[in-house]
Amino acid sequence: MSPSDVVIRNATYAAFVDLGRAPGTHEVAERLGVATTDVLAAWRRLHEGHALVLDDNGAILMANPFSAIETPHRVEAAGRTWFANCGWDAFGIGAALGVDCSIHTTCPDCSERVDIEVRGGRPLDESPVFHVLVPAREWWTDIRFT
Amino acid sequence: MLVFRSEAHVKRWLAGRPGGATIPITKLADLATAWWSDRLDPDWQPHAREQNQAILDRLGLVGDFWRLG
Repeated sequence: MSPSDVVIRNATYAAFVDLGRAPGTHEVAERLGVATTDVLAAWRRLHEGHALVLDDNGAILMANPFSAIETPHRVEAAGRTWFANCGWDAFGIGAALGVDCSIHTTCPDCSERVDIEVRGGRPLDESPVFHVLVPAREWWTDIRFT
Repeated sequence: MLVFRSEAHVKRWLAGRPGGATIPITKLADLATAWWSDRLDPDWQPHAREQNQAILDRLGLVGDFWRLG
């Protein structure tokens, strides 16, 4: 990952937080004073390097832990509502923002709501568990499934 | 990577299929903090695989299932 790609990656993440949604190429380009084609080219390299995930049209799908699209994993943090890509990422949003958060997801078994308040990085309700189905070495084989 | 109400719910959801690894939600919180807390740093640099593996190891997430490569 080149230094210039890291600059574009960091600006993309900053824009995601500022805007409360995934930025378009033009929004990152304006911040950095570069061409949109340069941003898209960097995003494609970052996608290949697993630093973010693009959809089939070249738009941001995941800037982990943030999801660009609605998912079953909703997080309230820093006065906003975010969507996470999975249960792990749901905890990651509070950690990345450095704030307390409320996680709202559903149990895949019974479809009941699971609401978890996180304070100082600790869940107040310790009864839920986390299941990882895919071995670590295969996480990026199909990141959308993982 | 899913949150369940309890281990019993994981077992019922798997319905006899081979599962992966189940960890307490408190361990997940520790993992998320270690893995994601630098994600928005202005000077963020990519984690090397060895760094990420060290995070897993430090939290006791060891064994073949948790090997990144």
